[in-house]
Amino acid sequence: MKYPIACAMATLLLGGCASFSPDGGFDTVTSATRDRLGKDTRIVRTDADVAALAGTLAPLLATPLSVDSAVQIALLNNRGLQATYQRLGVAEADLVQAGRLQNPRFGFKRSHEGSDVLVDRSLTINLVNLLTAPLATRIESRRFEQTRLQVADAALTVAADTRHAYYGALGAAQQRTYARQVSDAAEAGAELGTRMAKAGNWSTLDMAREQSFHADAITRLAMADKDVLASREKLVRLLGLDSASAFTLPDRLPDLPVAAIALKQVDQIALRERLDIQAAKLQLQATAASLNLTRSTRFVNALEIGGVRNSASGNPPETGYELSLEIPLFDWGTARVAKAEATYMQGVHQLADTAIAARSQARESYGNYRVSYDLARHYRDQVMPLRKRISDETMLRYNGMLMSVFELLADAREQSGAAHGYIGALKDFWIADSDLQAALGGRLPSAPDGEKK
Amino acid sequence: MNSRRNFLSGSVATMLGAALVTKAGAASLPEAPLQSSAATMPPLMPPNGRPYNPVVTLNGWTLPWRMKDNVKEFHLVAEPVVREVAPGMTANLWGYNGQSPGPTIEVVEGDRVRIFVTNKLPEHTSIHWHGQELPNGMDGVTGLTQPGIAPGKTFVYEFIARRPGTFMYHPHADEMVQMAMGMMGSWVTHPKNPAQHRVDRDFVFLLNAYDIEPGARVPKVSTMLDFNLWTFNSRVFPGIDPLVVRQGDRVRIRAGNLTMTNHPIHVHGHSFEVTGTDGGWVPATARWPEVTTDIAVGQMRAIEFVADAPGDWALHCHKSHHTMNAMGHNVPTMIGVDHSGVAQKINALVPDYMVMGDKGGSMGGMQMPLPENTLPMMSGDGPFGDIEMGGMFTVLKVRTGQARNDYKDPGWYKHPPGTLAREWTGPMPAADAAKAPPADVNTLDVKRGSMPGMHH
Repeated sequence: MKYPIACAMATLLLGGCASFSPDGGFDTVTSATRDRLGKDTRIVRTDADVAALAGTLAPLLATPLSVDSAVQIALLNNRGLQATYQRLGVAEADLVQAGRLQNPRFGFKRSHEGSDVLVDRSLTINLVNLLTAPLATRIESRRFEQTRLQVADAALTVAADTRHAYYGALGAAQQRTYARQVSDAAEAGAELGTRMAKAGNWSTLDMAREQSFHADAITRLAMADKDVLASREKLVRLLGLDSASAFTLPDRLPDLPVAAIALKQVDQIALRERLDIQAAKLQLQATAASLNLTRSTRFVNALEIGGVRNSASGNPPETGYELSLEIPLFDWGTARVAKAEATYMQGVHQLADTAIAARSQARESYGNYRVSYDLARHYRDQVMPLRKRISDETMLRYNGMLMSVFELLADAREQSGAAHGYIGALKDFWIADSDLQAALGGRLPSAPDGEKK
Repeated sequence: MNSRRNFLSGSVATMLGAALVTKAGAASLPEAPLQSSAATMPPLMPPNGRPYNPVVTLNGWTLPWRMKDNVKEFHLVAEPVVREVAPGMTANLWGYNGQSPGPTIEVVEGDRVRIFVTNKLPEHTSIHWHGQELPNGMDGVTGLTQPGIAPGKTFVYEFIARRPGTFMYHPHADEMVQMAMGMMGSWVTHPKNPAQHRVDRDFVFLLNAYDIEPGARVPKVSTMLDFNLWTFNSRVFPGIDPLVVRQGDRVRIRAGNLTMTNHPIHVHGHSFEVTGTDGGWVPATARWPEVTTDIAVGQMRAIEFVADAPGDWALHCHKSHHTMNAMGHNVPTMIGVDHSGVAQKINALVPDYMVMGDKGGSMGGMQMPLPENTLPMMSGDGPFGDIEMGGMFTVLKVRTGQARNDYKDPGWYKHPPGTLAREWTGPMPAADAAKAPPADVNTLDVKRGSMPGMHH
């Protein structure tokens, strides 16, 4: 019996990768962010890491944030993401643990038999552990791999959320500019209206009407202020910064790209590229593997084999084996098998569900992206030039004393309203662009060049 | 001014009607001359028929005719036209033979007149000979006295011009639309004896009005009173030609009103008499002196005076909005409104904005871009600056040296020394004029029904 045990141990020692990797499994995350986002990320563990991080962030925060620098900051500084990174350490520890033999148990018994002193010594090793260690290592290795994908996916999610929040904050700030213009136009009208009434040229009704435009405009400006605050704080949280004044934003959203990206079979791209789907696949494989494990060990999972060496004082030591075997009298393991099978099927459906959701999400995101692009372009190419034309023509009619200054101001209000709508449409496009990237698992096949303009 | 343009060169006949009429009828139809210019054409001396002293149609022309079997035959073609309302603005109107108003028809008392009317409009039409005494079936009222002239069809009217005087012609079919679109013309029946009612200069025009949105070209036909172009013969000042006369000339001005409101026509520098109405010539004993005569809707008036006062005299409708061009009728009054601070605020939003109207309506010669195809509200340069008029305004130019039949614009009047208003540069009174007491706001703050002396 000695030989098989030694053989098993040798196999275990040769095959088990029961040691910590130099990168702690983080290379999957860094390669994912590098390949899919073009960005770096790091685990922050030590004081030196913290200092290095501060050095990296400072230049990024010194200038108005681009969407790229926002994503970079979030990848490095989002504390929730750093917490997620630590799951890698936990998973790797589990893996290393799985590959290690349980420590042998040494038993020592000293008893008296009359005047005789009996000493029992035993050394037991969990044999099943020895037998199952390669299998457990493979399972933990898969789980570790799955964790690496999940953590990388979490990094991509944070990047997508950051892009989302970035455009939201930028758009809200820009929209507030137009809300302020509307308010300014209304204020000028209200003030002029008051003076008109004071000079006797206008009735209280006309004056009140102009003042009411102003009152409404102030309301909308306050709502715009709320949007700016909320959207900026959302970005602050994703960037992991202490204060909303730690960064500045550019004045305006990036221009619309020259053309929208044309993609075919976006759902296939999503299935191929998305890390959450890859992780779900691995999880299913792991479940399948552990189901096999359960099947093979259902009768022997309590089997223990150990060397026994008893010695009594004055007598030569007693050596031999001790073997205990669970008798499957009450528990035939069927419940465990059923549970494992159910768990497996749960995983199968979950994977299918994830895949269906991912494909649908990809199609929806792409549709939304195209429609958002068309809408923003419609605003840019049709709505805004027409508003400009109307303003020009209104001005000409003011020149000819065909219209009054109040119509000029009303037009200025309407033009700002249209500009507000355009900014909203442009913001929605960039958010749709971010959502599409997220739905397709990272960078788009060919990045829109509008961002660089 | 193109008023001296050779009549024939301006009316090079185009056989417009010929394309429309049937081949069988074509041979018997007189030609329908076409006029492409909106300038005043010189009087058409009658080449045949009974002699008469021709009129000058302000910014218009007289329709040539042909004599056939001792009948004067005219051919009017009702058709869409493009009319220059003033340089810088054209209107898409409906008119006759290339212009709106159509050409003046001149005949002599007792003439037998045959008028062919070809309809090139997209809807049926007719012509009513306003003021004529004629057979009922020639009166041109669709449905009542004749069927409408369908598009592409030609009708013929025939009657004897019995009574001398000033008349008009216009459709009596869908007339709300067709008159709003410019379908009208003048008609003068001269007396049999050219010496009777003889004057040296005889002008004729119609008062008409259009509502053309600045930037548009077609009149709004549903406008009833709020027109923005008040015109003499579909022209507005400064597009209207002056009435040029020689000092001492006896002058007649005939005007018919085809707008929907009355027009008090005022002549400066002279008093005149109303010598003719729709009903005929006013007996000399019944005439009274005027400087303004109100021409009611659908009326015609002939006024006469001796142009004894040299100078450039205004002649205009006395409704002040009628001496304006396109203007906003709902623009609030800005007079006396303090713009300090607000103007800068508005400028921040509307960079091209300039304060206007806070000191009145005068634009002080400001040249600002306007919508396309419209005219400044008031304009026309005079020798002393902006005349600040538009619409129904023109100038009666009385000159000593003007030749007998010369209608050429002699330029601005040169005032003899001491006859021109001038700035006072002498000493001013020492004390300021008494200032008005400040308005007491409380006197305006009266509660309804609490006014003293009010009875319920």
